Amino acid sequence: MSIMEYNGGSVIAMVGKDCVAIASDLRLGNQALGISSNFQKIFPVTDRIYLGLPGLATDVTTLRETFRYRVNMYTIKEEREIEPETFAHLVSSTLYERRFGPYFIEPVMAGLSKSATGGYKPFIAATDLIGCLNFAKDFVVAGTASSKLYGVAEGLWEPDLDADQLFETISQTIMNAVDRDAYSGWGVIVHVIEKDKVTSRTLKGRMD
Amino acid sequence: MNSIANRFTTTGPISELRKAQSHVEDDEFADSAWGSEAGFGSLAKGVPNFTVPSVPDPSAFLRLHTDDFADPNCRIKIQHGTTTLAFRFQGGVIVAVDSRATAGSYVASGTVKKVIEINPYLLGTMAGGAADCQYWETYLGIHCRLHELRNRERISVSAASKYLSNLVYSYKGMGLSMGTMICGWDKTGPAVFYVDSDGTRLKGDLFSVGSGSTFAYGVLDQGYRWDLTDEEAQELGRRSIYAAGHRDAFSGNTCNLYHVKEDGWKFIGNYDISKLHYDGPGETPGAGYGYDIRIERNAAAAAPIAVPS
Amino acid sequence: MPDMVTLPYSSPATPQQRQFNPYSENGGTILAISGADFSVIAGDTRQSEGYSIQTRYAPKVFRLTDNAVLAVNGFAADGNMFVKQVRQRLEWYRHAHAKDMPLRAIARLIQTMLYSRRFFPYYVYNILGGIEEDGSGAVYSFDPVGSYERESCRAAGAAQSLVQPFLDNQIYFKNQVPQPGHPHPQHLPLTTVIQLVIDSFTSATERHIEVGDGLEMFIVLAKGSPLYGLENIDGVQEMTVTNEGERIFVVRRNLKRD
Repeated sequence: MSIMEYNGGSVIAMVGKDCVAIASDLRLGNQALGISSNFQKIFPVTDRIYLGLPGLATDVTTLRETFRYRVNMYTIKEEREIEPETFAHLVSSTLYERRFGPYFIEPVMAGLSKSATGGYKPFIAATDLIGCLNFAKDFVVAGTASSKLYGVAEGLWEPDLDADQLFETISQTIMNAVDRDAYSGWGVIVHVIEKDKVTSRTLKGRMD
Repeated sequence: MNSIANRFTTTGPISELRKAQSHVEDDEFADSAWGSEAGFGSLAKGVPNFTVPSVPDPSAFLRLHTDDFADPNCRIKIQHGTTTLAFRFQGGVIVAVDSRATAGSYVASGTVKKVIEINPYLLGTMAGGAADCQYWETYLGIHCRLHELRNRERISVSAASKYLSNLVYSYKGMGLSMGTMICGWDKTGPAVFYVDSDGTRLKGDLFSVGSGSTFAYGVLDQGYRWDLTDEEAQELGRRSIYAAGHRDAFSGNTCNLYHVKEDGWKFIGNYDISKLHYDGPGETPGAGYGYDIRIERNAAAAAPIAVPS
Repeated sequence: MPDMVTLPYSSPATPQQRQFNPYSENGGTILAISGADFSVIAGDTRQSEGYSIQTRYAPKVFRLTDNAVLAVNGFAADGNMFVKQVRQRLEWYRHAHAKDMPLRAIARLIQTMLYSRRFFPYYVYNILGGIEEDGSGAVYSFDPVGSYERESCRAAGAAQSLVQPFLDNQIYFKNQVPQPGHPHPQHLPLTTVIQLVIDSFTSATERHIEVGDGLEMFIVLAKGSPLYGLENIDGVQEMTVTNEGERIFVVRRNLKRD
């Protein structure tokens, strides 16, 4: 079986009106055996950037620490917080450093970037396991349930959803998609990022 | 004396066989295809004919194109993955199964009927290849009925399971995948036989088959006794399937529960496994089987009621 | 999909063996949804092989009788041949019994026909849709070697993993909690179902390369049921000739061709 399916897990990020949302399942498995129903795959990078890391669990931990280190160094040197676009390129180059022995992760990023006028613009991005960036305008998906997430998201997403509508849309998308995937599920967590707050909700999902 | 009579008889099974055989042509669709005999084989042809590819090693061919264990990228994904269990006790036989079918990591269906109702007093479970189980257990039903007509009494579970076991043994090595439990109540009492496509046939009190069987055994073995009551036995079956559905990625969705008694089987119910996790089998919410739910329930029960001072 | 397949590689020292690969994969997606007294069976019309499109119009959904429609997907050659053989058996049945085969009997027939090729399977995923003897809409889905189940709604083919979860949410209302006092409807009306089918295919076309070009939908209505607004749908054509009995309609739409 594929190494990307060994632990299982999926992540999705979606764009709304002046907000973004990022969601993941909570399962950690060892092939067919489910081990943990509380395995976090989404981590805050700054107040306004969240990073989702679906794939091999050991690399989830390693990359989380690697990015924490690199973002801290950036903040110290630049004396300001990193912007989402810059962070996306940081992720891309970190993964490409391991081009011939990659990390088995397909990161998904969601955040709000400062626009020229001082407001905030929603931002999402994803990369493949060797760092190829995808700056989508609607949604990005990754993980064992990616094809299922594409299907439901394409059916349910529409532009300019406000924070509550975006929460409902992304929740329905990920809940129904992971129910059709054997390696994802066991609970779902959703983070909705707005300019002044981040709301995190754990959803009651199917536990089989 | 008997052999002369047999050669010239015009009635009876031997002559019927001879007559039917004289009609058989080599062509795939003989006259029998017009009527309903074509599906499971006519008297003359015996066991149904199967098209086999004309390659030197047909089973290797089949394995190359369908075996998803060896090659997950193979073209033809046959649906697999399951947990089934059956045990016998003083009140009959409990048969409990999940309802998930997976093709690779995709959950192809959450509503598969893995208990095959062979006849009103015999049940067969499905594990392994769904088509193999469905097809051969329907075929078994035909032969159980013929047995009843010829012998004027119900077939025993032992004979029925042996029929199936010998049938799949003749296809041994060709790629059939079947792990089934034939359950019923006959003259000897409740009986469960495990039959698989390797040719194994075992009589026993308690079996669980499938990718989630190890999880089900854990619950089943610690809760099993011969003198369970009907409700306790049903609860044990349900709880075991829940454990497997929860932990095993390839099992889940719903649990179908059957109880075989002396006068035949009875369908007890269809239980959503996720609902069993949160709310348990009854209607009262909060009585769930899930670990977090049980811990909360115990903590709430143990905590003293706050008394304003 | 290559014409030759290499037998599994054992080690660098042993020779490799190649043999003819009788199967190919032609892409596409089919889906069927049943209602209280109707059934909708749809499929896209693109036939591809690898990254090439073989044709933009190759039907995958076929009328068997006035109350049964069969959609086939997987390897187109096996699919087309299988439909021919099913139609032949149905014709023999009609001559032998002076009536059309009922839907659940057709489903069992398809199982035995598929299983007769257990050791050299038809690489076809079938979905049979139509009206049962009791007037209810029914959908039967099959795996390539004949295992089958009656359901309300099923998608199969290249984009099945994209379409099926969307249908779970919209048809079965999975993961949706109803408003108190307003339970989810048991059956959806025909116009809603047709719109969901069109939306499913446009979504699948967006995100899957093997789906596109055109959509062909067959709608089977039970005997005596009203038209449910079908006459207002653009481009609807009737396929049945008689006025008694079930009725079959076809609706065609274009899908993106890229």
